[in-house]
Amino acid sequence: MHFAFPPRKTSHPPPYALRQTRSPLLRRSRLQLIALVALGCIAGLYMLSKLFGSSSITEAIPAGTSPVVIVTTLDKNKGDAFNEKIKQNRKAYAARHGYATFFPHTSDYPLGDSPHSWSKVPSMRHAMALHPHSTHFLYLSPLALIMNPSLPLDSHILSPSRLENLMIVDQPVVPPDSVIKTFSHLKGDRIDMVLTQDKEGLGSEIFILRRGEWAKYLLDAWFDPLYRSYNFQRAEGHALEHIVQWHGTILAKLALVPQRIMNSYVKDEKGNNPGGVYQEGDFVAHFYGCDKAPRHCEEEMAPYFAKVAS
Amino acid sequence: MSLSRSPSPQRGGGWSSPGLNTPYNTSGRSTPMRVNANTNGGAHISWASAQAKSAEVKGYPSFATRNQGFFSRHMRRISASLPRFDGGRNARYAEKEKLQRGRWGGGAGRWSGIMGRIGRMMWRMRLRFAVLFGFFFLVVAFYVTPLHRIYRRASFLGGGSKFVIIQAANLGGGVMEWKGPREWAIERDSLKNKRKYAKKWGYELEIVDMSTKKRYAHEWRESWEKVDTIRNAMRKYPDAEWFWWLDLNTFIMEPSYSLQSHIFNNLAKTTYRDINAYNPLNITHPLTSPYLDAETRSPIGDGLASSINIIVPQDCSGFNLGSFFVRRSAWTDRLLDIWWDPVFYEQKHMEWEHKEQDALEHLYASQAWVRPHVAFIEQRMINSFPPGACGEKGEDPRIHYKEQDRDFVVNMAGCEWGRDCWGEMYNYRQLSNKLNRNRWERVKDWVSESVKAAKEKRKENEEKKGEEKQDERKGS
Repeated sequence: MHFAFPPRKTSHPPPYALRQTRSPLLRRSRLQLIALVALGCIAGLYMLSKLFGSSSITEAIPAGTSPVVIVTTLDKNKGDAFNEKIKQNRKAYAARHGYATFFPHTSDYPLGDSPHSWSKVPSMRHAMALHPHSTHFLYLSPLALIMNPSLPLDSHILSPSRLENLMIVDQPVVPPDSVIKTFSHLKGDRIDMVLTQDKEGLGSEIFILRRGEWAKYLLDAWFDPLYRSYNFQRAEGHALEHIVQWHGTILAKLALVPQRIMNSYVKDEKGNNPGGVYQEGDFVAHFYGCDKAPRHCEEEMAPYFAKVAS
Repeated sequence: MSLSRSPSPQRGGGWSSPGLNTPYNTSGRSTPMRVNANTNGGAHISWASAQAKSAEVKGYPSFATRNQGFFSRHMRRISASLPRFDGGRNARYAEKEKLQRGRWGGGAGRWSGIMGRIGRMMWRMRLRFAVLFGFFFLVVAFYVTPLHRIYRRASFLGGGSKFVIIQAANLGGGVMEWKGPREWAIERDSLKNKRKYAKKWGYELEIVDMSTKKRYAHEWRESWEKVDTIRNAMRKYPDAEWFWWLDLNTFIMEPSYSLQSHIFNNLAKTTYRDINAYNPLNITHPLTSPYLDAETRSPIGDGLASSINIIVPQDCSGFNLGSFFVRRSAWTDRLLDIWWDPVFYEQKHMEWEHKEQDALEHLYASQAWVRPHVAFIEQRMINSFPPGACGEKGEDPRIHYKEQDRDFVVNMAGCEWGRDCWGEMYNYRQLSNKLNRNRWERVKDWVSESVKAAKEKRKENEEKKGEEKQDERKGS
C-alpha cells in the first residue's frame, strides 16, 4: 500500500536506542568468508584422502620388478646336466623379456606320502612369497621346453583383449561331457588363472596364475591334505579338476585357452588329440608322458634343444 | 471565577475547590475517577463519565491506535492487574451476586495476574521454550514411537540395516519327528526375543526353516544347510554387511546392547586374531612353512579390523558356531563355497560329529588362506554357556554365563541331550526380564516383595506361637 504521507513518527520515542535482541557475533561478510574457507578445507582434505587412499590401494611396485615369474620344479633324480639344460631354456627366455625365474626342487616341500608332482602347488605359493610385486606366475612342467622365445607372455596370452579372443567359453571342464562348463561371459581382466585342456582333462602341468587373494585361495585349497590323501588317480591333476567342478568361485576365475597356445604335445600317443600336437612356431613343446618307459625324455628332447639353440 | 480559598489537595485525591469539580455532582464525592460508579442512573453526564462508559462497553479505549495486535492487547489485559476490568464486571453482575458468579471474578484477578506473569515470561523466553519443546518432540518421536527404528536402520545414522540376524528355527522338525508342546514353546520364546531385539535396533531378522528335508539326492549334505542358508541370506539382503548366525537355543539377555556398541564399533579390541590366546584345539599357530608369504605366516594376519571376515567364539572344545558373524566379502564367498566339499565329506563324515564346525576347524588348520581373515571373540561376548555345557558347575570364567557381568547372549548348547531346554529357556527369560526392569517396575516389585515377606513373617510367627502353645499344652 502506498500512503500519501510517510507514516507518522511515534509521539513517544524510546528513551534510548533499542538494542538488537541478538547481536550477531560475526558479521555476515565474515561468516561467508569462514564458510568459504571451511568448504575449501573440506575439499582439500577430500582430495588428499583420495590421493593417499588410492596410493594405498595400488601399492608401489619397486622399479626393476619383473612382471612375470617362470616357475619349474626340478627333480634331483633327473641329474644335474639335464636340469641345467632345462634351466637354461627358461633363463634365456626370461632374460629376453625381463622376466624372473624360480627353480625349486620337488623335495623342498613337505608332501608326506603324496606324489612329488604335488610340489608344483606350494612352489607357486613360494614364488609368490618371493616375488610379492610380480603380477603373473607361469608354471612350466620340467618336461616342457619354450620353443619360441620371441613371444612375450603379455601379447601372446595375458592382455585382456587377447585373452577374451582366446578364451574357450561354454566348454565342458572335463571332456567330453562334464556338466560343468566354463562361463560364457567372463571379462579378460577378471581372469586369475589361464590353462589348457587336452582330450583327457585339464592340463595342470602348464598354467598361469595372477597374484592376489584368489591365487592364495586356489593354491591352498588345492593343496588341502584331504585331497592329497584321497588317492586321485592323477594326483594333483584330478584334484584340480575336482575343485574346479565343485566350487563356482574357482571356475569363475578360470580361462581355458586353445592347447597349442602354451601346451603343445610333442607326441599324440593315443592319436586322439590331433589339435594339440606341436607345430613349428608354437610357444611351448610339452613332452607329456616322456618320463614313463619306454619313452625317454632326454633322447626326445635332444633335437628340440638343438632347434632352440640355433 | 472567584475562589473562596486557594485550591488545595484534599485527602483521598481531588480538589477541594468546587470550581475544578463538576458543579452538579450530587454524591459529595470529589474524585473524578470514581464518577463512573455513580453516573449509571445520574442525570448529569460529564465527559469523563461518558468516556468511562464507552470504555466499559468496548472493553478498550476506542482511540487506541497502537498495540492493535491481538497478543499484545491480550497480554496487557492479563498482565496488568486490571481494576477497571474487575470493576466493570462486578458492576455488571452486581445483581447476580446471589448466584455466586462474581465470586471467582475477584480471585481470577489475582490468578490471571500470576498466569499473566508466567505468560509474559514464557513469551520472553519463547526461543528457549521452542528449543525445549523441539527436544521433547524429538525424544517422543525417536524413542517412544517407531520412528526411531527408521532412524536406527538408516545406513548413515544407526546403520542397523547393515546387520542381519539369521535365526535357525524348526530344528530337526519335518520328516524326522513331531514337535511337542515344549519345542513349540522354546521356539516361540526364542523367536519373540530375537524379533524384539531386531526391531529395537533396526536389524534384519531372517528366520530360516532348518527342518530336515530330503532336499539332496542322498544323505550327503544332510543338515549341512547352515552354509547354504547364509548364502541365501546374503543374496536376500544385498545391502547388509554382517550376518549373525544364531541357533534356536539362544537367548539375548541384554537387548539394550546394540551390536555396534557391543562389538563392531571397536572390532580390533573386541576380537583377537592370535588363536594362542585360547587354543583348546591346540592348533599350531602361526603357520611356519617357509613357502608361505609373510602375511599368512603372521599370527595376526595384517592386524587390521578391515580384514576380519568371520568372527567365531571358542568354547571348551573348539570353535562354536552356535553364534557367530560373517561379513560379506569375496573371501567369505570362497569360504562358504569350499566349506562343504564331497571329498572332505566322504573321508570325514563319520568323524566330523559337528559337521560345519569340524569342517571349519579343518579349513582353519590346513588351508593357509583362511587364517589371516579369521578373528576370534571371547565366548562370553556373544555366546555364554549355562552350567551343564562345558562343565557341570558352570564356573569357567571364559565360558559360563555370569549374572553380575550382564552377558549379552546365552546359548543353551547341547540342552537337547539330557538337559531341560524349556526349563533353561524359561529361567533365562525370567532372569533377563528381571535384570532389565525399569525403575517403576523395580519399585512395584519391591513393594510386592516386601508385602509378601511381611506376610510370610507373620505366618511364621503364628506358626511358632501355635507350636509354642502346643508345646505348652504338651508340657502341662
